[in-house]
Amino acid sequence: MPLVLLAGAAIGVVISLEARYSLSRFGAKSMFPATLVYSVIQVMGPIITGLVVCGRVGAGIGAELASMKVSEQIDAIEASAINPFRLLAATRIAACIVMLPLLTVAADASGLFTGWFAQALVEPLSFHQFISAGFSGATFSAFLPQTFKTAVYGLIIGLIACFQGMNTRGGAEGVGRAATNSVVLGSLFLILADVVLVKFILVFFP
Amino acid sequence: MATTDTFAIDQAELEQHVSASVAVENLHKTFASHTVLDGVSLSVSRGETLAVLGRSGTGKSVLLKIIIGLETPDSGSVCIHGQNIAGLAIDRLSEIRKKMGFLFQHAALYDSLTVAGNVAFPLEHHRKDMSRSERSERVKQLLAEVGMEDSFDKLPSDISGGMQKRVGLARALALEPEILLLDEPTAGLDPISSGEIDELVLKLQRERQMASIVVTHDMHSARTIANRLAILDQGNVVIEGSFDDLQRSDIGFVKEFLKQS
Repeated sequence: MPLVLLAGAAIGVVISLEARYSLSRFGAKSMFPATLVYSVIQVMGPIITGLVVCGRVGAGIGAELASMKVSEQIDAIEASAINPFRLLAATRIAACIVMLPLLTVAADASGLFTGWFAQALVEPLSFHQFISAGFSGATFSAFLPQTFKTAVYGLIIGLIACFQGMNTRGGAEGVGRAATNSVVLGSLFLILADVVLVKFILVFFP
Repeated sequence: MATTDTFAIDQAELEQHVSASVAVENLHKTFASHTVLDGVSLSVSRGETLAVLGRSGTGKSVLLKIIIGLETPDSGSVCIHGQNIAGLAIDRLSEIRKKMGFLFQHAALYDSLTVAGNVAFPLEHHRKDMSRSERSERVKQLLAEVGMEDSFDKLPSDISGGMQKRVGLARALALEPEILLLDEPTAGLDPISSGEIDELVLKLQRERQMASIVVTHDMHSARTIANRLAILDQGNVVIEGSFDDLQRSDIGFVKEFLKQS
């Protein structure tokens, strides 16, 4: 959670600084609140949350399961007549699916707050005014698909990390490789999935 | 053409396989281009302990993993109480696995659980009819059997290799198995600890009359705990019988193996 909040906060400040500069050039400073809100909630918040969670949680799951694999703990679970996929993988994947949208909301909130704060330091703008202007003309449901698409990110992160971990070979080197692959492949597939999901959302939730 | 003698031998083998707790027939297994099992056949009945010996890398551990279904043979059959486990659905295989206990070479204890948690693990999943206090009592009983009753709340990282093997054995016995598979139970242990593990296995075998297969390269351990010994070489069972049978053998590899042991 702290990582996600920090990442969200950083994104909020970056977008705030960049948006203020760009919008000023085109005489559209009044669009700043809406620009920040839409940028954070629809674009940056979900993908940054996904990448941070992939790095932190994906690597952790990959390394933990890989360590269990090389020390035969997963074989021991299977030899005890217990399905290791149900016990180890399903629980972790389900947790990722549930937690990603929640963490995304937290990251978005953090980003919006710090984005407003960065702007308020330069030009006085109350938080209430900022929120009203930012969400004007948009319904709450306009942001739901972008937030809940992160459940798909959670599925990707969980599946890839569990697969890498439970199919590890090669001792300590294999554990390191599983952790690295979980992050690299998870991040890559996350970004590719975003391309597909954005199109899907634009078509089915215009 | 089959003669009466051939039929009698086949009939005797058939009866042995049918009555055997574990019957392995003509197993073949290859990893990449390396053949580890090349037509291995053996059987173990209730109350018997078979020690499988051989050099490192001769497929002994692979044999045990095939018997419990962790590896799939390229060809051949594995019958547990007369039922061929090849191609069984996972649910059916799980029912058979509940009758088997497996001690891994390095114990394979779950490092995030305590000693008690490790032994309780199979009970928590398969004996939901037991109350928490009944489970706890059973765990204490199992740990006492293996001499580890004082390590109830310790983590696997807090105990020695020999102690981990004892806990692994207690875990393997949790579901009262009819078949016990032990993969190098004394590997990496000092002679005193090895002797203690051997005595423990012998005691448990006398009390529970399980069908046991012990994979080991420790001839002294094999002589102590096994009724029969089988030596693997180049993927085949070179000889099977009592220690005296092995000593009487004229096979060069067997003589060399016994000399070096």
